[in-house]
Amino acid sequence: MTNTRSGTRSPAIARLLKGTLLAALVAWFLIELYPVIFLLTTSFKTDSEILSAPFAWPSGFHFANYVRVWLGEGANRPMALYMRNSIVVTASALALLLAVSALAGYALARGRFPGSAATQQTFLLCLAVPVHVLIIPVFFMMDRFGLRNDLLGLTFMYTTMGVPFTVLLMRAYFLSFPVEMEEAALIDGCSRFGVFWRIVIPVSRNAIASMAIINISWVWSELFFALVLMDRSEWQTMPLAVIAYAPKAMMGESTIGPQFAAMVSAAMPLIIVYFLFQRQITKGMTMGAIR
Amino acid sequence: MARGKSSPGFGWRLTRWWNQQGIWYLFLAPAILLLLVFMAYPLADSLMLSFFKWKGLGPRKFIGLSNFEDLLDDRFFWGATWHTLVFALVVTLGTVGIGYLLAIVISRRVPGWQAFRVGYYLPVMLSVVVVAALWVRIYEFNWGLLNTFLRAIGLDALALPWLADVKYALGAVIIVPIWQYAGFPMIVTLAAIEGIPQDLHDAATIDGVSEWQRTWRLIFPLVRPVVASISILQIIFSLKVFDLVWVMTKGSPGNSTAVLGTFLFRQGFETQKYGYASAVAVVMFLIVFILTYLYQRLVKFEAVEF
Repeated sequence: MTNTRSGTRSPAIARLLKGTLLAALVAWFLIELYPVIFLLTTSFKTDSEILSAPFAWPSGFHFANYVRVWLGEGANRPMALYMRNSIVVTASALALLLAVSALAGYALARGRFPGSAATQQTFLLCLAVPVHVLIIPVFFMMDRFGLRNDLLGLTFMYTTMGVPFTVLLMRAYFLSFPVEMEEAALIDGCSRFGVFWRIVIPVSRNAIASMAIINISWVWSELFFALVLMDRSEWQTMPLAVIAYAPKAMMGESTIGPQFAAMVSAAMPLIIVYFLFQRQITKGMTMGAIR
Repeated sequence: MARGKSSPGFGWRLTRWWNQQGIWYLFLAPAILLLLVFMAYPLADSLMLSFFKWKGLGPRKFIGLSNFEDLLDDRFFWGATWHTLVFALVVTLGTVGIGYLLAIVISRRVPGWQAFRVGYYLPVMLSVVVVAALWVRIYEFNWGLLNTFLRAIGLDALALPWLADVKYALGAVIIVPIWQYAGFPMIVTLAAIEGIPQDLHDAATIDGVSEWQRTWRLIFPLVRPVVASISILQIIFSLKVFDLVWVMTKGSPGNSTAVLGTFLFRQGFETQKYGYASAVAVVMFLIVFILTYLYQRLVKFEAVEF
């Protein structure tokens, strides 16, 4: 944005324009970040500070709110339990999702078999299904098979929800992958699965990690199915913990601090993932949206 | 692949078929199985259930199209549909509009552009539940951030019960996803803008275009397909809204923020009208499915080419 580019305009006007734009950027930056800062600072405040000085910096790092939620309070179960459930569900759903999708994506990219085009179309169609509409049959099905209030049921559901998108992404990735090495291995007597497991997967580690990162954010945050399928608090996940720790009318304002501690605990893992893997996330999002 | 050179017997042909074609079905089997059990079957059952009356226990009673006829007369259904459409439209305009402008400015490499990009995208990574609970606290009437701020600058008259008043609740809810997701179209549009070859910019510079012309005559036409596709994605995504509304208002006050997702949940799991709720699900499915299908066609045809 140099003055030479602005053509007919005079340098003074161009500078003014640039200043205004920068001011707007900074303003929006503050609007985006201030609530996040508010979230963090409030979780370290005492009850009276929260009510009397919402904008102020906390007078010190009070970990009391965190202690209260992580050890559990009143009828609420300890945050550690919710955390464990969320980690188990997220880790197993991601592992299953990546394994299943890598296999299927590889078959769609390399296989020439009757029905391969139709299968590809089916995955595209599945992508268009809004999963919310499945909830009632899924609820009764899980109930019948004893998978309600079971982390396994939620794992299966999340895996299925991620399959269409991840399979298509895997296919696109494997298509861009040179086929010569695999053919050489096949001629040397390696089986199809051997090629996949020993040659393709080791080379694709980065791509697979990217797909794990793309999926982790929605799996970690999913509320709808968790709300319906997990009505016993011992099996609930982090999003439900945030709701469980919401201030109850009869308990007054003293539960606001703990709820903020619960919210920060629920948000932290994803924020850490974001700062560690920023590049993969933005690249993956772009890939998924444009493709 | 074939070990023996002998005559092509049945076993040999089977082995060859397996190695060249059959094995792929095995590769696909786990994914297909999951989709059949946890997507295809529930979808079919949902469709079936929408023609029945069912309380969750006992036999289902076939009532034909009654559920759909009742839907047409249900003003709460129309209210929820209307709120969902308004929500999807305003959220999409807001996020894509703001995202596009941010992307344009950031693509000029203004000072600190990297920090801006990281900061704008950060809220996208927060769980919707956390964001919703946070904004409930921001909108809180007595000590919430917004009202405290308004009172501090002397605008006491504007300190309103944002989420408790029928007039403001939907608007207050709609602002939240715009705040949270503006970074998403920004990232995608930015990638598209950066994909524009430098020689096009150079040619424009030689022609002496102004910044305004560069933005709207050069950049916009080239990234329009991306903006279009991200808009449709955002609409589809917004039509499925549930978490945000559920945590912020549960559809209250007076159903003024009820959307199809919460309406479906309440009809099903709170009043046990599973057949009726399934009819809502079918309507939701049709809207989203058709839009997504159109999106897939559109994106396929409009590849970005320079």
